[in-house]
Amino acid sequence: MMQTLETDVLVVGGGATGAGCVRDLAMRGIRAVLVEKGDLTHGTTGRYHGLLHSGGRYVTKDPQSATECAHENVVLRRIMPHCLEDTSGFFVITPWDDPDYGDVFVANCRKTGVPVQEIPVAEALRREPALNPRISRVFEVPDAAADSFLATHSNALSAREHGALILTYHSVVDLLREGDRVVGAVVEDLRSGEHRPIRCAFVLNAAGAWAGKIAAMAGVTVTVIPGKGTMVAMNHRMVNTVINRCKLPADGDILVPIRTVAVIGTTDVHVPDPDVYGIEPDEIQFMLDEGEKLVPGFQHYRALRAWAGVRPLYKDQDVASDRDISRTYKLLDHEQRDGVAGLLSIVGGKWTTYRMMAQEAVDEIARKLGNTTPCRTHEELLPVPPTEAPGHQASATPRLMFWMGKPLADVEREHAYGDLICECELVTKARVQAAIDSGAANLDDVRRDVRMGMGPCQGGWCIYRTAALLFEQKQASGLTNANTNAALLHFLQERWKGLTPVLWGDQLRQARLDELIYVGLMGAHRLREHAEQGGGLVTDHPAVATEYVKA
Amino acid sequence: MHYDTIVIGAGLAGLMAALARAERGERVLLLAKGHGTTHWTSGCIDLLDAGDDPLAAIGRLAAEQPEHPYALAGTVALEQGLERLRAACEAAGYPLAGSPGRNVRLPTALGALRPTCLLPATMVAGEARQLADGRPTLIAGFHELRDFFPPLIAANLRDQGLHAEAAYLGLPPVERSHEFGPMIFARLFERTDFRAAIGEQLATLVRRGGYARVGLPAVLGVRRATEVVRDLQARAGALVFEIPTLPTSVPGVRLFQALHDAFLAAGGRVQLGSFVLRGEGAAATLTVIISEAAAREQRHRALRFVLATGGVAGGGLRADHTGVLQETALGLPVRAPGGPSEWFAPRFLDEAGHPIFRAGIAVDDQLRPLDAAGRVAYHNVAVAGSAIAGCDPIREGCLEGVAIATGWKAGLL
Ligand SMILES: Cc1cc2nc3c(=O)[nH]c(=O)nc-3n(C[C@H](O)[C@H](O)[C@H](O)COP(=O)(O)OP(=O)(O)OC[C@H]3O[C@@H](n4cnc5c(N)ncnc54)[C@H](O)[C@@H]3O)c2cc1C
Repeated sequence: MMQTLETDVLVVGGGATGAGCVRDLAMRGIRAVLVEKGDLTHGTTGRYHGLLHSGGRYVTKDPQSATECAHENVVLRRIMPHCLEDTSGFFVITPWDDPDYGDVFVANCRKTGVPVQEIPVAEALRREPALNPRISRVFEVPDAAADSFLATHSNALSAREHGALILTYHSVVDLLREGDRVVGAVVEDLRSGEHRPIRCAFVLNAAGAWAGKIAAMAGVTVTVIPGKGTMVAMNHRMVNTVINRCKLPADGDILVPIRTVAVIGTTDVHVPDPDVYGIEPDEIQFMLDEGEKLVPGFQHYRALRAWAGVRPLYKDQDVASDRDISRTYKLLDHEQRDGVAGLLSIVGGKWTTYRMMAQEAVDEIARKLGNTTPCRTHEELLPVPPTEAPGHQASATPRLMFWMGKPLADVEREHAYGDLICECELVTKARVQAAIDSGAANLDDVRRDVRMGMGPCQGGWCIYRTAALLFEQKQASGLTNANTNAALLHFLQERWKGLTPVLWGDQLRQARLDELIYVGLMGAHRLREHAEQGGGLVTDHPAVATEYVKA
Repeated sequence: MHYDTIVIGAGLAGLMAALARAERGERVLLLAKGHGTTHWTSGCIDLLDAGDDPLAAIGRLAAEQPEHPYALAGTVALEQGLERLRAACEAAGYPLAGSPGRNVRLPTALGALRPTCLLPATMVAGEARQLADGRPTLIAGFHELRDFFPPLIAANLRDQGLHAEAAYLGLPPVERSHEFGPMIFARLFERTDFRAAIGEQLATLVRRGGYARVGLPAVLGVRRATEVVRDLQARAGALVFEIPTLPTSVPGVRLFQALHDAFLAAGGRVQLGSFVLRGEGAAATLTVIISEAAAREQRHRALRFVLATGGVAGGGLRADHTGVLQETALGLPVRAPGGPSEWFAPRFLDEAGHPIFRAGIAVDDQLRPLDAAGRVAYHNVAVAGSAIAGCDPIREGCLEGVAIATGWKAGLL
């Protein structure tokens, strides 16, 4: 075993919540380490719908959640403008929805503090001509599209700037318990396979849908029900405003325009294990049918990819039925709850409320540590990671909200046309190199950082280019061609998982053309015997393998 | 204009069929939406990825799988077609090397070694057995070309026991400052001043490294590639060979042009940019096809038609979201392997490939399309190339071979 690492607080989980916690801890001067078994946003945060909630969705069924969202909506717009696109949002009543819900909705928005304004249907159709003309009422709310990869990386960067240590591809394999107290954890470095003890005053469990598994390592029961949701990205922004169905929350009722695509979602299916789930063809079909109700002709747009995430639904000990699980979050102090000191779990919630969750958890830990520094995460702007603007001083980057023309404007400003690695998403060589430099452990990490391979060509060109750049950049530090081949093969497979549910029409054709490139032209499959995990990459480890099983 | 034959699709299969029929003195129209998959492939002629002797392997395959397109076309059509293709390339000053009885292996842009059969002379010095002669090979490219990365190629070749090293060349001063695709480079290489600058750098590298040969991206000229390679060899003082890049494939474009020119010389007419919407006919005879170009419908009559629109990659077959596969031009019945749940293997690089890509049009030994009951759908239509069911040309490594065999056969019938 490696040398023991000592810290005040060990945060488990590198999703929105964990990253928010570690930032908050570090800003208050508390020594903190975050461990994440995959890349940052490997869990639900990297597989969500992309919506900064106004709160409107929850005003009737979950009013507390609505108020929390409304509060954080204002805060996040202030602290992370570079992660948001101010799309605004409509709640629309379609012919399939109860027309009486409109008045209930408005009244409940007022009660919960969600800003809302009814606008004339004609105005809504003028702003969004693709919308179903048969909608009867439209309410506008301050929804926005949010980039959770960027937001999490920005939180992590801020935490590092304040002295925190962030260890990705480090999986918690055990919690250390001494009597009635948790005193640390053992983590496995997935890159090297080495185990390392970390000793701390508190373990903060922010492992989302996996929180139950972490708590169980200390002998504590936390019931988190993984609620799987499937989303489909369409290759066209048929709307520029977030469109919600004005009804009680259901499946396939939100359409979010984000960057170059529009994402329809989602479903909610409880699954037994957050690591094993599939995407069923009828889920996709359902989504397309629901999309059709919002935007006539929806089915004829090109579906780019489908993915699924698992909601961390926390089931309180006293809740009888799964259906009554609230969408609010909960801080569990296991000393009070279970008589096990040194362990807290922050569970449930939403991306939108991550900061508030972190604040509540860190307030409690700070109190226990006797730290009186107040929380400042709602005031201090988040820094911009170098993958966004390579070569720029993070703090010197202008604070603009994301807008559709931004990538193109960046490319033009840098005269970087000839340097495009991914033409679909306008990703330049400099950004890919920055992503590699910032410690990407495989090509999927690069994808998450810069969106390489997420456009209509499905990575046909950019996978090869990025793999080769990775090799050229890391060769000196020990990465071999065999490691590179493993990264390429790994990524081709990762990408395939998201594609098979939506392969028809042009997307099927593109998949075949990519097969022509990687099998026919490149002979990638012939390099299997010359592929091997290593060189600082993680391309083959059960801890980070999400198994998509066929129904 | 009344044609004897209209060929739909300008890939290798369509070009071969059109050329054969034109050379028999027919009035032939080649109608296509765009270029075929030639622009996506290596520019070599793959016959079958099965052992050292593809021709013998094809014979065995035909005996085992009587519905395989190779079985239906027969080896005579394959051999004659290959001969005609060679002659067309020869006439274009772009000779092909190799023989149908022998597979060779060539490096790819990843540094894997892939089998193929006929190869342009510009690639000959890169053949694996030559690379294995113990003498060092230099793989060189340009930072500005994002479709070819020498260090990874060389490292993978070394892993396979070949002595290879990598270098990037400096781009000589040119007018343009950005966006260097393979076709742009190909045109630059046709300029003497550009070659002189590259040749000088290569000569220095060869002198220093003692390289026997230099592998460059396959962008060494469009129309005069053989000449360009010869010139570079003289300047570099070593053999020069091309390695295919990411698409656009310049060697694929050369093949297209060689056949296209031969077809024009034989009196054929080409109309690109037209998408065939449907056909009309009666009593199992197709009389008219209706195409759309620039939003206008156009009717084309002929005695006979060849459908060479390709498979899913070429756009000849298309699936909708309900899992129905359609033949896009004439609406011919498609033979598909079950529903969408059976279309894909869980692994992208599954050895057996994905069942969906074996879908296509069932044909008889005259390559006439069959309906679900096995009856001939149109007596005067022949299907050629990847549109035919019963084979996955990419996985089997027979994309060009099947196109040539069935294309030529459709031209002879
Ligand atoms: C389909 C879907 C759509 C959604 N859409 C929205 C939306 O539009 N807006 C919104 O606000 N919210 C949305 N949500 C909710 C939101 O995504 C989640 O609430 C939020 O991302 C949870 O973040 P988290 O950090 O708590 O959990 P996660 O992001 O899951 O982070 C937990 C992390 O813990 C790691 N981990 C697990 N085990 C270990 C271990 N042993 N060692 C180390 N690390 C470990 C995991 O790898 C994971 O990265 C959606 C959720 C789903 C499922």
